[in-house]
Amino acid sequence: MSEPNLPEKAKVVFEVIKGRRSIRAFEDKEIPDEYLRLILEAGIWAPSGGNLQPWEFVLIKKKDLINKVKLISPGLFGDPAAIVVLCVNREVAKKAGRMGEYLPLMDISMAAQNMMLMAYALGIGSCAVLSFNKVALKELLSMPEHVEPALIVTLGYPKTVPQPPKRKPLKEVVHVDGY
Amino acid sequence: MLTGIKKEELINDPHFKLLSFLISSARGCVYEPQLYGPLRLVDAAARLMDVMENEGKVNDDLRRLRDLIREKMYLVMYDEEGFIRFLDDVSRELAKIIK
Repeated sequence: MSEPNLPEKAKVVFEVIKGRRSIRAFEDKEIPDEYLRLILEAGIWAPSGGNLQPWEFVLIKKKDLINKVKLISPGLFGDPAAIVVLCVNREVAKKAGRMGEYLPLMDISMAAQNMMLMAYALGIGSCAVLSFNKVALKELLSMPEHVEPALIVTLGYPKTVPQPPKRKPLKEVVHVDGY
Repeated sequence: MLTGIKKEELINDPHFKLLSFLISSARGCVYEPQLYGPLRLVDAAARLMDVMENEGKVNDDLRRLRDLIREKMYLVMYDEEGFIRFLDDVSRELAKIIK
């Protein structure tokens, strides 16, 4: 589908959305703290159900600790400069009633996407990782009982950038005015 | 109190890294997509070849096999049929080494 004459802001947003890739090989180069702060701040600007903001983020920059997280995370590839563990605070999530079981995971996902888009805009690669051992990670990071690690986002300067995987066409996944 | 190898050494030990990967993967395979099981196994095979290389037990054939795994294992995320063909390729290459 050809893209219409978009406003400048839309062009930038679309370029960032379409340009982001899941990066699994990183350069050995530190990310400035200011950039990490911007990435985390992008996360907290995500929408959340009832504005509960049920998230807490654990930023890990120490190489030896990243290596320990890697030991228990089969889906974490490469050597990222930093990782963010996105957690659900179950005490906060309780306020959403029964929806509190799954709503925070949607909120966390939107926060993660914000972080990854901001990272991309800063020239930093990222990858969302769900394949980690939750029990082990909780123990490793001394998390309290009511805090549950839900997703890891790896961050680092890309060594290689993969080709974009195929997308299902709109006509296959969009239904207008009824299924 | 741990006796024997020091904790810092243990954490960086290639065998221990593989051991951690296997245990963590075992738990993950309970809920992960079915094809992630084969993914973890071939990934573990590549990691094992890293360990073998440190011990001088790898030849060019094994290096090629490891490179093939590292190059193709991500197919699982976007091309299931391609990933299964890749598993066949790895099996075939292994058989050639054994033959």
